[in-house]
Amino acid sequence: MIWIEGHLVSRGPGGVYGERMVQGLRVWDPKRSKLAALYHLGKGPELEQKDRVLYLGAANGTTVSHIADYTEVVYAVEHAPRPMQDLLVVAGQRKNIIPILADAGRPELYVPIVEMVDLIYQDVASPQQVDILIRNISFLEPDGNLVLILKPKSIDVTRSPQDVAQEALADLEEKGVLIQDQVWLLPNYPDHVVFLCKRS
Amino acid sequence: MESYWFGDREGQACRPAPNDSGLLAERIELLAGTGNVSIPNWRIAVRCGFVSDRSEYLRVLQEAAINLVIKNLERGYQADHSGLIQMVRMLEQVDCTINLLTERAVDWYRATRPGFSRKLLLPSGRKLITWLHRDADEALSEVLDEIERLIEQRTTLMKKVSQRAEEVLPNCSALAGGLVAARLAAEAGGIRELAMMPASSIQVLGAKQALFSHLSTGSPPPKHGVVYQHGRVHGARRENRGKVARTLSSKLAIAARIDYYRKELDREFIEKAAERIREAGRRA
Repeated sequence: MIWIEGHLVSRGPGGVYGERMVQGLRVWDPKRSKLAALYHLGKGPELEQKDRVLYLGAANGTTVSHIADYTEVVYAVEHAPRPMQDLLVVAGQRKNIIPILADAGRPELYVPIVEMVDLIYQDVASPQQVDILIRNISFLEPDGNLVLILKPKSIDVTRSPQDVAQEALADLEEKGVLIQDQVWLLPNYPDHVVFLCKRS
Repeated sequence: MESYWFGDREGQACRPAPNDSGLLAERIELLAGTGNVSIPNWRIAVRCGFVSDRSEYLRVLQEAAINLVIKNLERGYQADHSGLIQMVRMLEQVDCTINLLTERAVDWYRATRPGFSRKLLLPSGRKLITWLHRDADEALSEVLDEIERLIEQRTTLMKKVSQRAEEVLPNCSALAGGLVAARLAAEAGGIRELAMMPASSIQVLGAKQALFSHLSTGSPPPKHGVVYQHGRVHGARRENRGKVARTLSSKLAIAARIDYYRKELDREFIEKAAERIREAGRRA
């Protein structure tokens, strides 16, 4: 990862969402992207030029554009039409973003085009977050990384986020995911926890 | 046989798919439907003679993927007639804007004419604008011109909404008029949503505030929302309005389902329904 004067940056064509530039590189704002927030906490997998990424919950393509700057190709899955229209514009400016309009919970719809990947990054607000990850795990190379941004409040608002996270963790381990680290995304994203995982 | 988005492979033999993003998008969709595809591998695509290298593979794939996304977006927007819903919302916003601007213009006028009082002023709407126009100063006149143009625009938009609704919601439009039908669909959140709604919900669509104040404080329930705009409802005697609104909504619920599933006008149903609604207005 490239750091300049305390800013996490990425190398690519700017102007995706009005991001700041430092020495010609795009500042990856931890307030706008949960993955950037994770890197600012000193955690998260090193992105490499050769990496292939499956991104679930791509939204408007803010984080997608930065990941695409670092990696070979990003398969960006988004279900909602409006953010997809923004994502299409971002994909049009880059050669290595493959947009997919589909529900991340139904990978059978995009299995024809997504190849085996080195990283699955998931950031979806769904009560079935754990299940969605499990359904997509067959796209992951045996030694690949999983980054799950868990939103406990999307699973159950009435319970404490810590309890929901613990339950999700147990659920993941039971379903063949090895959790190496868990990081609460404070201060930028209260009640968001990241699970850094591998296939077990 | 193994099928990939870029071709079919059988043992050593491999038949590449035609390299055209439109056809490839169709192929991807077809394959997704079969549920019997393997995770693709770009090396097979090269061996297949479909592309010459990795970067060409990604380029062709991106083009096909973007093509597919645009096709799906178009299809989605057409299926739920988002265009009509957006038109209705624009019409409502224009209405609201005209009222606000007119109010503001009257306030402005008042400040330049100490003898002016709203009490003396009988005309409303468009006539009010014309009235102000007679002796407004230059700056105000220019604004009034703009408001008048907006009112014209509103009329055009209203006709278009009505027209579209008659195509998209033929049965609802036949019962309640195009404009009311379109407003109901917009209020429900879509054509499909309207078709799924029980008649009792359709009856109070557009009366959200009254409905929730009824549910939370126990004030009398609303008799009607958007359906009030139908001539038979607001033309009915006060004590009869609830009944007319109820009958109309129950027929509209059926009409919405015919519109959504059968998509054609059912004259026999319309005649019977219209008779029932007339009947409801008659009985005291």
